[in-house]
Formats: sequence, structure tokens, C-alpha cells
Amino acid sequence: MAIINVKDEVLIRIYVVLLVVVAIAVAVFAKAVRIVTVEGAKWRELGEKSYVKFVDVPGERGSILAEDGSVLATSLPFFDLHMDCASPSIKEEDFKNSIDSLAWCFATYIDPQYTAGAWKQFLWEHRYTHKTHFLSIKKDATFEQVGFIKQFPLFRKGRNKGGLIVQRNSKREHPFKMMAQRTIGYVREGANPVGIEGSFNRTLRDSVGKKLMQKVGADVWIPVNDLAEIEPKSGDDVITTLDVNIQDVAQQALLRALEHHQAEHGTAIVMEVKTGKIKAIANIGKTPTGWWEDYNYGIAAATEPGSTFKLASIMALLEDGGIRMTDSVDIENGQHQYFDRIMEDHEKTSATKLTIQNAFAASSNVGISKLVFNKYAQKPELYYQHLKDFGLPYPTGIEIEGESAPKIKDPKDGGWSGVTLPWMSIGYELQITPLQLLTFYNAVANGGKMMKPYLVSETQRFNHTVTAYKPTILRESIAKAATIDQAKKLLESVVEFGTAAHLKTDKYRFAGKTGTAQLNYGGANNSIGGYQASFAGYFPAEKPVFSCIVVISKPTQNGFYGGAVAGPVFREIADRIASTHVQLSEPVNLKGKPILAERQLPDDVGLKNDMEKVLKQLNVKHVSNHKKDDYWMFLKPKSDTLQLLARQGMRKDLVPNVLGMGLKDAIYNLENRGIRVVFIGYGKVASQVPSAGVSAAGQTVTIKLE
Amino acid sequence: MSLINRIGAELRGDRVIWMIVAVLALLSILTVYSSAGTLAFRERGDNTEFYLMKQILILSFGLFLTYIFYLIHYQKFSTVAPYALMIVIPLLALTLFFGKNINSASRWLAVPGIGITFQTSDIAKLAIITYVARMISAKQDVIKDFQSAFIPIILPVVIVCGLIAPADLSTAIIIFVTCLGMMFIGRVDLKYVLLLIFCGIVMFAALLVLAQHFPGLVRAETWQERMRDFLTNSDGKFQTQQAKIAIAKGGWFGNGPGSSTQRNFLPSPYTDYIYSIIMEEYGLFGALSIMSLFILLFFRCVRLVTISPKAFGAVLAVGLGLILVIQALANMAVSVHLIPVSGLPMPMVSMGGTSLIFSCVAFGMILSVSKYIEQSK
Repeated sequence: MAIINVKDEVLIRIYVVLLVVVAIAVAVFAKAVRIVTVEGAKWRELGEKSYVKFVDVPGERGSILAEDGSVLATSLPFFDLHMDCASPSIKEEDFKNSIDSLAWCFATYIDPQYTAGAWKQFLWEHRYTHKTHFLSIKKDATFEQVGFIKQFPLFRKGRNKGGLIVQRNSKREHPFKMMAQRTIGYVREGANPVGIEGSFNRTLRDSVGKKLMQKVGADVWIPVNDLAEIEPKSGDDVITTLDVNIQDVAQQALLRALEHHQAEHGTAIVMEVKTGKIKAIANIGKTPTGWWEDYNYGIAAATEPGSTFKLASIMALLEDGGIRMTDSVDIENGQHQYFDRIMEDHEKTSATKLTIQNAFAASSNVGISKLVFNKYAQKPELYYQHLKDFGLPYPTGIEIEGESAPKIKDPKDGGWSGVTLPWMSIGYELQITPLQLLTFYNAVANGGKMMKPYLVSETQRFNHTVTAYKPTILRESIAKAATIDQAKKLLESVVEFGTAAHLKTDKYRFAGKTGTAQLNYGGANNSIGGYQASFAGYFPAEKPVFSCIVVISKPTQNGFYGGAVAGPVFREIADRIASTHVQLSEPVNLKGKPILAERQLPDDVGLKNDMEKVLKQLNVKHVSNHKKDDYWMFLKPKSDTLQLLARQGMRKDLVPNVLGMGLKDAIYNLENRGIRVVFIGYGKVASQVPSAGVSAAGQTVTIKLE
Repeated sequence: MSLINRIGAELRGDRVIWMIVAVLALLSILTVYSSAGTLAFRERGDNTEFYLMKQILILSFGLFLTYIFYLIHYQKFSTVAPYALMIVIPLLALTLFFGKNINSASRWLAVPGIGITFQTSDIAKLAIITYVARMISAKQDVIKDFQSAFIPIILPVVIVCGLIAPADLSTAIIIFVTCLGMMFIGRVDLKYVLLLIFCGIVMFAALLVLAQHFPGLVRAETWQERMRDFLTNSDGKFQTQQAKIAIAKGGWFGNGPGSSTQRNFLPSPYTDYIYSIIMEEYGLFGALSIMSLFILLFFRCVRLVTISPKAFGAVLAVGLGLILVIQALANMAVSVHLIPVSGLPMPMVSMGGTSLIFSCVAFGMILSVSKYIEQSK
């Protein structure tokens, strides 16, 4: 081993160390250069991406309102609360100091199912064992609740140090709960949109805005600009034609009937005759959890209507002329055979001949079908043409999705047999929705003008109209005026002495037709799978304002006839509307004004000036027979006007006539003549002693006021 | 007489080192003010000046200590070293078993009553380096001997590193490597140095075994995780990626002081990742200058050795210079993802109390050595 001197050895060694140090430095710097140059673009791009991003800013979905502005559906903010238990921003001492009181708050205000001790353990484990960053605390909290929870110990230290995470959600609320829910509908992810929510989604929908956010730390984002880059827009409001009061009574009445008759489901629709506005539409079905608006039976369910369809048949006959209401028809004791099928009336009768009017009022299947069969068996296309004129084979085109098209056989198409026509004439072998049938009845009530039913009257943005929807005429006239008049009379006779006679009321008059359709008939052994009870009509009969249809499917208790099941619902709805809508009652002042009887006239006596002032104020025409303003006058009716007459016997030296005067006037008149006055009572002078005309000097007059 | 001349007259010793201290102190203020913004925002509301003032205060105190230690004759350090070590070792034990947990590492000891916490390993650094320097110069005549020189030198090093390693492996490694370097420079036989390296590996293995039995005491899990991440994920985890983004954004010339955006994403941008922020704000050239300052510091320490190779002062200065430069390079290497995440602050620059004080004292001691060596020349 070569001897190197100490100094050289140290120097060699130290230069080695220096070299190593410099080498490391070069390596570090080389790596830095590499990051800047070779990898530079990649990192810079990643940097841009990771610290600014666009965040969605949701707007508010529009509300659905009733005609009077009541809110039927609206979006309310709800909040989901989570806790970042394992957040490093929560200081150890804060957590440990607050955990007991926080757990107590949880146990007291959030979920009392667990004790404070259990909550404490739960939170403790989620911080230290599971290291949870997103522990659900409460779902769907209201704004007020969030404010309260934010005041809990620890949480009150703020978003970072407290660990409370608040997420805002929007929830669709229906203040009237079940009311018209199916018609109001919904828009949900993964489901077909339903009702007005679905059809007017474009109007109601908010547009999501965009906001550029900058990251300023782990999970902390702040907006780059004060305003969103794309402002979110709130959705517009939709104003429906629905009337909450009518809707309420329709729903209540329908629900009661469904319960009373233990039925399967039902619908009740109320329409405004002149416009076609749907004022109420209730759809209730039996669900495992109770009665609920589960399906839009009124709009989406086309069924065989039964006897309510007879109106169309009789109107077809009337259009073609040649029959009169008083003509008779042989109903053959309520049974008639068409080819291989026997048609029966609901009740066997001993009657054989009925007038057409009675056959309709009593809803005789045999009677109506025979009339139609005799007339159209050879030319069924003529009958079908009438149905087309009545608008029956067509959908109404109501705004919301899911309207079923009517299925009415065309003789030109296949499937037409000999029995098709007679059965069709009484409402079988065809399918139509309650709304479509109501539209037809409404047209009759409206003097033949068929209005398109509609649910939305306007859309609004910030209470200003965006689009207004006007009533639409589907058909200017579905039949001759004479036919319409006859049809109305027939519908009135149903209530006067027909199948709905028990529903008659003397408060107002209504017209309509009952229907009792067999469901799933023609099964094994000619079995019947239940009935569909219905009633379609309008009121008041003289000047129809509202039309209404009630259809109840499969009543199982307390009767099944349309008149017994659906009719009462119609009456209840009509009763309520009649009592709350003044325009349905005849004005009491339509007749001539009553003439005021003489004894009803005010018997006041007063100065002409004052009297005239009062009469002028009251706008009462009058004539006067005296010119002086300060003369005492009284009222007297003439044949067609009023007269102010001067009171006689007011001479200065005699006791005056003060009858009818107030005390003030009486004393003025008496004492000015030096007469002493004694008075009893209050009001106006009813008697005086002595009476007028005696000498005034030194007199004492006693007056009695009443 | 101008102010500069006044200060120059007052501050003798190596002027270059004085200049390095001044530049690093200035850089520290600038960078900490820039990078502590998020921390200040989160912890102090709008009071972002809080950390600036705090840093200036600590720095002033640190520089005052630099001056004090510069005034003390470095031979005094040699006398004090064994006693200091005797105090430091129990303190380290105390820290390991009863220390305050910060980021789940037991590195801090609270001084009862006054609410100040400090990292005992920083004091240990000074004590052990001074002790090793003292032993190397004292045993120069028998330096190649195992029994009489090697063992007395290495034993305290092993104890100190062993006590630090469970909670703070990187600091232990830094101390160990520094002592190794000092012994190498101090002419300890190469085979013993190699043995020592082997010993270090054995110690690390023993530590891992210990970790199986005392998982709370040893952060073996964290090390494994960091190592695995370093070896398998070339892009690094979130913080590493953010550091690289900062470097890439800075480019060659940087975006200018105070204009860092990555400070918002990097965890501890004011300590562990301060070099990334420096590169973002001052660019590669700025970063190179800072790096050069530390290399220059080491050069100046080496120069002292060339002047008086065997003297305690020279060995002490080179030891302190070595630990400062190694720690600085380790910090930089983490930022550029050359070594796994370690959590070492940059001496003199990073925010933080004890580390800064240690750096200032180390500089003071180096300056003291330089002053007397220059005088004796």
C-alpha cells in the first residue's frame, strides 16, 4: 500500500464527496429539465385541466298552476347532508371536544333511534377506523333544517373545519297531493314522461347554466368570475284550466263512490261547455297501498261505453229524419234476436211498445238497436258517416301524451258482421275514451259546436304571459240544430222520468245519459266480468255551462247501474258547482223591478234642502211642489215617481204638525213658537198632544217618539 | 463609512457564505409568503400576512442565532458536543415514545408550559455532527483502528439514527449518510465505511422487523407505500404530479415571484414542495441558481478543509455543509420525483421553526469556523 500523505488522502476523499454531491445535483437538475422540456406539454396540459373546470348551475323548473294560480306542482329545494368525518381539516382537538355534544344533537334532532353514545361511537369509527369522507347524515332536509344543523357543535366551525357537506337538490312537490296527479304527471329519469309535466317539459324545463370554477385546494372550488358564464334559466310556468275547487269535489265524490261500491277504478271529468276547458279530471284506481291516481283512465283508457253511446245512434236517426220522438217502437218485452245473438234490455218489462223518447229514457237496448238496425242494416256506411260527423272516431288531440284513439269499426273494413251494427248502436263493439265521449256530449250541450278539450290555458314567465292558448273549435256543427234540440230533450227526459229520475233535483236542471256496460262478456257460459257504470251529461239543462262524465269500472257492492253508481257522483259534482257558481243561477233581478209600496217609503219629514240632498245621493228621481229651500217637506209616491210635498199647518201662531220629525226638528219647530215640550221615547214623533192647529200661546205639547 | 462596509467590518469569516445566508433568507421570505397563501386562507381567513410575519420573526431570531454562534469560538462546540449528545439521546427517546403526533409521525416534542413544539431531530443533527467531527479530529492518529477510533465514533451515530428512524426515516438516513461522509473524509478505513453501509442496511431491515411488532411506532407502511408508488408509478401520485405541473409551468424563466398557481394544489408547498414553487416562479434558471448556492456552500466548506485538513473546525464545517447540501438536494430530488416522497424541508428556505433555527445555527457554526481558520491563516 502506497503511503500517501495525510493531507492528500483527505483531499482526494473530499473531492470524491464533492464529486458525488455535484453528480447528484446534476441528476436533479437534469430531471427538472426533462420535466420542463420532454414532458412539459403533458404536464402543462394536465395542469390546465385540473384547476379550472365548468360546473353545472341548475335553474328552477317551472311550476304548474291551477286556473286561479294555486300551485299544483312546483320544485322545492332539498338538501342532502354528508359529513367528511376523516377530513384532515377537522382539528383533532375540535373533533374530540365536540364529539359528545355533536352525538347528542344527532341523537336528539336527527335520528333518535340511536342514543348519543351510539352516535358517538358511529362517528368515531367513521373518522378513525373507516376514514369515511362522505357519511350520509340526512336526506331531503329543508332549508330551515340545514340552517339548524349548521349550528351543531363542530359543524358551526364552517365547511372546512366542521366537515359538513351540503348538497342542494330539487324535488317536485304537489301541495294538493293526489289532486289530478296523473294529469299533472311527472318527468323522471328512466321513465316515459307523463301528463302535463311530460308534454310541457320544454316549457317547464330549466336550462342548466355553466360556471367556470377554479380549484384553490383539495376540494375547494371558487368561481373564476362573479357571474356564471352561461346563466341558468328558470323554466316557465304552466297555467292549467283546472279549477282546484271543482277538481276537489270531483276527486272527493269519485273516491267516495269507489269506496262505497268497492270498484276497481274510475274517472270523472268536468269540461266547460263554451270553451272545452277541462276544469277537473280525477283518475283514481285501487293500488296495493290504497286509492291513488295511478293511471289516466279518462284520457288513456278506451273502453266500450255502453248506453251512453245511444245518444249518437239516436242523433244519427234524427239527422236522417223520418222519426219523431212520439213514434213507437216494439221492444218485444226487452228481448230481440239478431241472427245468432240475443239482445236483452237490462230489465225485462211487460211493455211491448214504447215511444222513442221513452225507449231512450229507459235505455232500452232492443228499442234503440232495432231503430238503427231497421234504418241502416243495408247501408251501415251511412251510420258510420254520422259517427264521423259527430267526431267520434277521432282522438280529441288533448295536449298530453297517451290519449287512446277510439276504435270504431268502419263498415268498409273487415270484421263487420250482421250483429256489429245493432251492438254498436248501444255502445258495444267499439272503444272510446271517457274524454272523447265527453267531448261529444259537450258539443251537444254547446248547440252542436264541438270544442277541443284542453288542459293548458297559458304559459308564463315571471307572471307574464308567454303563450296563451285559446279555445279551439273541432267542428263548427256536428248536427242540424233541430237534431241537437231533440237530443237535448231526450237527455233531459232521462233525468225527468228515465234511468236517472232518482237523481232529479229542484235546485237546477241537468241532462244526461246513464250507461252500464258489460265487461269481458261472452266468456265461458256467457259469463260477465263485471260492469262499467257511467254517466255523461251537462248542466244546467237550459243553458249548459259545464259538461261532465263519470265512469266507474267494476263496482262490486251497492249496485252497478250507471244511474246508481256514476250518476250520484255527477250529481254531487253538479250540486257543488251549482252552489258555488253564481252564473249558474238565474239572476233574481231579471224580472221587472218591484214597485215600492207607499208604506215602505221613508216617512221622514225634513227641510226641502236636506231631503233633496239625500234623494240626489240615492239617485232617486222625484218632483217637488214647493220652491222655498227651507220649507218642511215629506215624500209621497206618484204613479211612476216620487213627490216632495210641503207640510201643511205650519203657521207661526198655531201648534205645528211635528209628526214624523226627529226630536231635534220637533223641538225647533215647537219652541220657536213659545211652546213648552215634554217628550217620551226616542226615534221619530209618533203622536202629539194637543194636535196641530190649536193656538200656540202658552201651550205645552207632549210628544211621543218611537 | 457606508452601511455595507460597516456590516462587512462586523461580519468577518467567509463573505461568500454570509452572502449565501442572505440570499437564502430573502428567498425564504418571498417563497413562503407566496406559497403559504392557501394555508393562510384556510386557517386564518384573510390574514395571509400571518405566515409572512411569522417567518420573518423566526428568521430574524434564526439570523440572530447565526450571529451568536458565529461569535463563539468553534472549539467550544467541541467541548460541549458530548454533553449535548447526552441530553439529545434521552430527548429523542422521549420524542419517539411520548412525542406529539403530526401527520401520524412522532417527531415533535412539546416544551411543557410554553406551548412550543420542536423537532428534536434537528438538535440531534447539530449534536451528532459536532461529536463526530470532534472524535475524528481527536482520533486522527489512530483513525484507521477499529477498536479505538471506529467504534467510539459510530456508536452514538447508530443510537441517534436508531431513535430517529422509526418516525422519521429520511432524517435518520440524512444524518447517517452525513456522518458516513465525514468519516470518509476523516480518513476512516474504507472497509469500515463499507461495513457501515452494510450496517445501515441491516439496521433498516431490523427496523422493518420491528415494524411488524410495533406498527404504531414505526411508519413502515408509509415507507412501503411511498417506495411502491415511486417504483411502479412513473407519473407519481397527486402531489408528485402537481409538483411536476409546477415545474413544467415554470419553464426556463419562471412566471415571476408570487405568481404560482400550483401552490393551491400542492400539499405543503411551503416546506416539502417549496422547490417546485421556486421552479414555477423562478424557472429552471432560478432553480439552478438556488441549487448552485448550496453547492457553493459546500465548496466553501471544502475549501476550509484544504486549508487545515485535520482540524476539528474544518471537519465540523464540512459535516455541517454536507448535511445542509444533502438535505437541500434531497428536497429538490423529491420535487422532481427523483426519489420517493420524504418530507424533508429545504434548509433555510422552507417555512417552519426548528428546521430554520437548525439551519441558522449550522450556518453560524460554519461561519465561526471560517472566521478562525481565515484568521489563523
